[in-house]
Order: sequence, then structure tokens, then C-alpha cells
Amino acid sequence: MVNPILLIIIPLATAFFIPLLAIVWKNGSRYLALLAALANVLIGIKLLPYVLEKPIHVTIAGFKAPIGIDLLAGPLGIVFSLIISITGFLVLIYSIGYIRDESINKYYTLFLLLLTGSTGMVLTNDIFNLFVFFEILCISSYILVAYNRDEHGLEAAIKYLVLGSVGSLLFLIAIAIIYLKLGTLNMADISDKFDALGGSYRMMVVVLILSGLGVEAAIFPLNSWLPDAHSSAPSSISALLSGFVIEVALIVVMKLVYSVFHAMQVLNALAVVGVITLLVGEFAAFRQENIKRVLAYSSIGQVGLILLALSINSKAGISAAVLQIINHTASKSILFLVSGYFILKTGSYRYSDYSGIAKRMPVSSLLFVLAALSLIGVPPFLGFFSKLQIVMAAAARGSTFYVSLVSLVLLGTIVEGAYFLRIAQVLYFGRQQDTDSGWLETGNAAGIDMESVGNAPVSAVIPVLLLGIVVVFGFLFLTNLNGVTGSIAGEITRALSLASLF
Amino acid sequence: MSNLITIENIVYLASFGLILIGLFIVFSDKNLVKLVIGLDIAETGVNILLVSTGYIQGKTAPIFSRTGLKASQMVDPVPQALVLTAIVIGFGVTALALALVVRLYQKTGTLDVSEIRGLKW
Repeated sequence: MVNPILLIIIPLATAFFIPLLAIVWKNGSRYLALLAALANVLIGIKLLPYVLEKPIHVTIAGFKAPIGIDLLAGPLGIVFSLIISITGFLVLIYSIGYIRDESINKYYTLFLLLLTGSTGMVLTNDIFNLFVFFEILCISSYILVAYNRDEHGLEAAIKYLVLGSVGSLLFLIAIAIIYLKLGTLNMADISDKFDALGGSYRMMVVVLILSGLGVEAAIFPLNSWLPDAHSSAPSSISALLSGFVIEVALIVVMKLVYSVFHAMQVLNALAVVGVITLLVGEFAAFRQENIKRVLAYSSIGQVGLILLALSINSKAGISAAVLQIINHTASKSILFLVSGYFILKTGSYRYSDYSGIAKRMPVSSLLFVLAALSLIGVPPFLGFFSKLQIVMAAAARGSTFYVSLVSLVLLGTIVEGAYFLRIAQVLYFGRQQDTDSGWLETGNAAGIDMESVGNAPVSAVIPVLLLGIVVVFGFLFLTNLNGVTGSIAGEITRALSLASLF
Repeated sequence: MSNLITIENIVYLASFGLILIGLFIVFSDKNLVKLVIGLDIAETGVNILLVSTGYIQGKTAPIFSRTGLKASQMVDPVPQALVLTAIVIGFGVTALALALVVRLYQKTGTLDVSEIRGLKW
């Protein structure tokens, strides 16, 4: 059996080896980074059957828990490292053609650090170690947002950095309080001792951690940085940030709330916050003209939906949330990756300028629409089943509270359908309005020469096609997926304890 | 009254005072450099809080090479290791923030947040 710590070591070591390799082989970093991500995918696949039976507990440097730092690779850890490394691998293939400037070595170093940070966050069992991985994730994503070095990217990165740093300060205060009161940093040990703590301390820790990690998880009202950061970053990075970074932060904070702090009393409030996040995201997305801002706001909406599903406090709800995360990662990555080439080929961020682009880029446009349909929840795509499971899980609770929240979710879905289908209409049919309103029958206002728009390169189409297979044919493997998400739900709802580790 | 003035309470007052001052600067000041300074002040407050958790009155530094010193006579070394990590992370974030501010200043020619309005809500 492979040691799960390799999932963290391989990208971390490769990240710092890349600048050295660049001295002798300038473009070698592209392939080295691909190899590292591929190695992580293979290790994840190899470990998955083992952890579904029993979580693997790794003691580091010979100090037994709760003294030393340890990793706990349960179903949640391994499934999320797989999501991270598969998305990372596909986006790295896309980057071969997409990232074409001088400083590619910096890009690949930071890219692999982003993978390291998020993989570490889902695997670690030590709360200070979680903070360190969280900072690795945050710092590398701040820099990647500003990677294009344009004014918008820099402004978005500063906004993101200030909010993110305030969030990590709050997280650090929570860690200080935990260590002061309990004298331990091991999550399993905290879980054992946490209920003995006074009520006000418990609430303070939970609220500080929720608001600290909530900045990264884009929970309303801590998400004002997200549309700027996700829309100003290079499209390949937006795919990562929307694809798994916010979901990883969200699932980790909910794992803490359920299995470490046992704070079931905040779940109802979180469900309401989730629905508000969803409605804010969807209605704001409806008003946007910049295609990447539409997608970024739609990510906020999806995060709200996932947060609601995670707050239902039943295994069915959490299992549906994980399925929705898988669907969102695949679909939103497709949308961002495809829109990256729309922007590159037409030179415009406004989706109204893409009229009739489907004739020029047929495969990309088709996958864009399929991914959008899956996000809306049209059968038979994966998104339909995840949304259905969320609605069923909420209805199964049988209370008016959850049923009314879910009806608001369905309202959000209608708005979501409206703006995604509007984009699909522009892609395929162009503008149908008459010329009096200032809109042209064919062509577009920006004067983009559609004849010159060619197909996206193969390196961009392959990853998008592979993600498209997950979205379109995912329902064939629904029973397998439900088995995996079910065991993740079991892990989250079970209280961690030190005794169960050994 | 006198039992309120303990070393712990002074430390808590100092650290939360610094955190609040820092956060106030972050949320109220319009100058980007001052904003980074505010983040740094708040970070110092958190670091004081973190390192104070390991302090035990009357105990000494945990150095094992000194002969005749028992484990029961030492303070807790874990928070010192934690705060060292936190300081390094804070240093990195500050350096990055200042680098971004310099770049933004070169592009826009201003440090005032309210004048930089490339992105809107």
C-alpha cells in the first residue's frame, strides 16, 4: 500500500524542483508538472479501495498522536485529493497551449503549490497543520490571480489578499483559544475534549473558524472578493479556483463543524446563509455582461446550494452535497476553460460579442452548453441527480423550514437557467433582435471578425472533452458514486475520536 | 480589583487591543500601504495571544542542554514553534501585499482605494 503522505510530498517537492530544472531545460516544467499531477491521480486511485474500508492513519516523524502531527486519509481525504489532482492534471494539459509567456516556471511552481495546499487541507488531522496548508493555498492563489500583471488582476489580488488575511487571522485566534483551553491541536483529541468546554468558548471557536475559512469558501457576506478574483485570473486558474478551491474550504469547515466541534446548533443558521448566498449569486450573475463574471457569480450560487445541502444534518444531504461538488467541479471547469478560448479568440469579455461562435468552435460550444445544462440540473446530466438528491434529502427532514428553503433553491435554479440559456442562444443563433434597438441582426457590435476565429487547439479540447464525459455519462455510474459519497457522509457525521485512530 | 491585574489579563488586553486597532485600520483606511500596516498590527496581536498560551508563571525556557533542569520547570514550547510559523507566514503575506501594491501603483499612479475602480460589484 502507498503512503498517503506522498500525495502532499510529490507536488510540493516538484514545485521547488521546477526552477532548478528550468536552468537546464526551459520548457521542461510543463511536463514535470504534468507528471507530478499524474502521479497523484494514480496514488489516489490506488488508495481509494483501501480507505473505503478503513481510513488510513499516518504518524509523521515517529511522534504518536496527539503529540505529533498526523494525517488521516479517510474517504473524504482521498476522494477530494482525487478531485483536486484530476482537475489539476486536466488543467495542466490545457495550460500547455494556454500559458504562453516568459515566466511559465513561476506559473507551474505556484500551480503545484496550490495543489499541495488543497490536498494537505483535506488530509491533515492537525488543526495548526490545517492552517499552514490553508496559507499555502491562499498565498499561491493570491499570486496566481495577479499572474497576468494587468490592473484588474492586481486590484482583485489585493482585495482577495486583504480579506483572506483577515480570515486567516480569525482562524489563528480560534487555534490560540483551542490550545489555551484544551492544550491540544490534534483534531481527534479536540473532538474528544471539546464538549467539556464552556458554551461561550465553544461558540466563539466555531464562529471564528466559520468566518475564517468562510472567506475562502465564499459564504455570504464574505464573498465580495470572489467575482473579481475569479474573473481577473487567467482562465485556467479560474477553473481551479472555482472548481475545487472554494469547495475544499467549504467541506473542510463543515467537517470541523460536524465531526470535531459537534456544533449542530449552527446548522440551521448555515442553511439560511446558504440559501441567501445562492440567491445573491444567481441574481447577480443574471445581471452580468462579462462572461467570466457570470461564471464567478454562478459559482457563488453553487456554493450556497452545497452549503445548504451540507447543513441539512442528514447523511443523505451530505452525500448529495458531495455529488453536487463533483458535478460543479467538472461543469464549472469546462465553462471556464472553454470561455478562456472564447476570450482569447475574439478578444472580448462580453458574451454578447460571441454571436454565432458555435459555427467556428463547434466542440467547445457544445461542451459549454452541456456543462451549463448540467449546472442548471437538466436530466440526464449529473447535475440533475445531485440537485434531485438535495431536494429529496431536504424533503426527507419533513420540516417546513427545509421545504421552504428548497423552494427558494428552485427559484434560484430558474434564474440560473435563464442566464445560461441566454448565453447558449448567443453562441448558437446570435442576436435575434431587430436593428432598431441598436443590436445587429448578425455579426456583432464590437466588430469582431468571426471569419478569423478558429478552433481551439487540441491541448484545450482534450481536457474539456474528458470533463464533458464525466458530466454527460456520470449518471451511468451513479450507484458507484453514491456509494463513495455515502461513505464520505458517514465519515463527516461520525465524531472523530483519538481511540478510533489506532 | 487587584486580582484583575494579572499578567494574563494584561497580555489579553494588549493582544486584542492590537487586533482591534489593526482591523479598524484595514476596514477604515483608504491608503493601500496603511492597509497593509493595519494587517501587520492585527497579526502581531494574534501572535502575542498565541505565544502567551504557553506561558506558565515562574517557569523558564525549555532548553534541554542545561543540566539540572526538569521538564516541570519549563514553559510549554509548542506555542513558540507555532508563533514562529505564524510570523514567517505573516512576513510572506506582507511582502507579497507590498509587492502587489507597488505594481498597482505603477499601473494606476494612486494608492487611494476609492480612486481605483477597475472592478465593480
